[in-house]
Amino acid sequence: MIERLALAFSIPVIRYAFFGMLVAGGTLSLLGVIIVSLHLTAIRFTLMHVGLLGAAAGLSLGYSPTLGAFILVIGTSVVMGRLGKEKSLSASSVSGLFMTGSLAGAFLLLAATGVPAMNVFDIFAGNILLMTKGDLIFIIVLGIGILGVFWVAYRELQLVLLDKDLARSLGLPVDAIVTGMFLLLGIGVATALRLVGALLVDAIILLPGIAALRFARNFGMALFLSALFGVLACTGGFFLSLFFNLPLGASAAMVSTLILAMSVLMKRTIH
Amino acid sequence: MTNIENQQPVVTLTQVAAGYGAALVLDTVSLSVEKGELIGISGRNGSGKSTLIKLILGEIEARQGLVEVLGTPMDTQANRRSVQLNIGYLAQSQRDPSIAISVEESVLLGRWGSNFAWMKRSTGHDRKIAREKLELVGMASLARRDIRTLSGGQRQRVSLARALVRQPKLVLMDEPTTYLDAETKEDLMQSIYSLHAELGITMIVVTHETFSSEFFDRMLFIQDGTLLPMGASS
Repeated sequence: MIERLALAFSIPVIRYAFFGMLVAGGTLSLLGVIIVSLHLTAIRFTLMHVGLLGAAAGLSLGYSPTLGAFILVIGTSVVMGRLGKEKSLSASSVSGLFMTGSLAGAFLLLAATGVPAMNVFDIFAGNILLMTKGDLIFIIVLGIGILGVFWVAYRELQLVLLDKDLARSLGLPVDAIVTGMFLLLGIGVATALRLVGALLVDAIILLPGIAALRFARNFGMALFLSALFGVLACTGGFFLSLFFNLPLGASAAMVSTLILAMSVLMKRTIH
Repeated sequence: MTNIENQQPVVTLTQVAAGYGAALVLDTVSLSVEKGELIGISGRNGSGKSTLIKLILGEIEARQGLVEVLGTPMDTQANRRSVQLNIGYLAQSQRDPSIAISVEESVLLGRWGSNFAWMKRSTGHDRKIAREKLELVGMASLARRDIRTLSGGQRQRVSLARALVRQPKLVLMDEPTTYLDAETKEDLMQSIYSLHAELGITMIVVTHETFSSEFFDRMLFIQDGTLLPMGASS
């Protein structure tokens, strides 16, 4: 087993994949606590669909579908945050608008340009083994950025998640913080798309957060457990994939699902 | 900046109009609240109660007229910010808070902007004050509990502690009893009344519900954006 591990880790792409999953699991999962606490689960689902439109646009323009998805997901996350505030739309209304529009746009674009739809749907699968050293550096920088945001704005995030009206009454720039969180969420979803594919984004971002919030008694504990569960899901999935020759994204998603299932069985529902 | 301590009344609204976009919600409202008063302002949903609170809090600006809070005209961002540091705010009860946060930590957050913010961390002194306020509202024994596990009434008591934790000179309460059952509503109002008697802080409570006038020094009614003495409404 050790020989097999040593052999695998002698291959650069495997090392990049492992460390990429490790960092993503430990940091992107923190966003799950925000998503659940702010009731934004519909929005991250919308961002996945926007990723599809971005991939279609990328392919149609002759660029990488991942790059197209990345740019559009991040841009849309900011627009969604602003739209919700300025037009007084609920998160679900904004989600409905962009989800339907993105799917329609993607299919229209594919029909107009003649790009094979299956090429676009590759984005649903993701492929971490295509990760380069540059990708790994990006994920590490992103992870440090996410940790930095939580470190600097720890109390401010707590306030916004606890009660936006109270936060405003204290003079906190609530709208700027919410927009910032949407942006961070967009970058996180776009990065997870690249790692495990659209269908399994939840494995890294959402499920660890849900499980953590079932056990945690305070915000710090929720963040710590979310990061821990994210790391367990990603590294567990990585080793499962390595030893049993399974798809990496699906393996990580399965471990993440099992962690959430255990949290359901072990702890009563809080709400 | 004006010296807040030496100024009375605590809130002065003179012929104030305010609203959102094209909608005018408050129309030439005048109000004077003396130091130490406990005022109740009642009115139907949409009558302008919350707008009045936002105006006093400095979250929105008056379209016309003069707003002075704690002796400071609310006409510049700097003045509004300075006044906000001296106001405690209690919003309506959240039905279903989703954030995992301990009771004590949630009270501590009420001191944001006064002693800690962003990179400047809260201190042991902040925690001590938070615990004192929890004791004041009878919630000290639940300080380490997750706020999600509390009942609506308990959560509002915690909110009351949070409104008091920055040692405010004025406390504004926007529908503090919404979503609570009748008995809990009465208990909370009794607590507000007792705390006011004990601390002597100026308090303004807006509500769409009807409470006994014995809780308040003065009761006003807001109708179609206009403030009237209780009993003068049509």
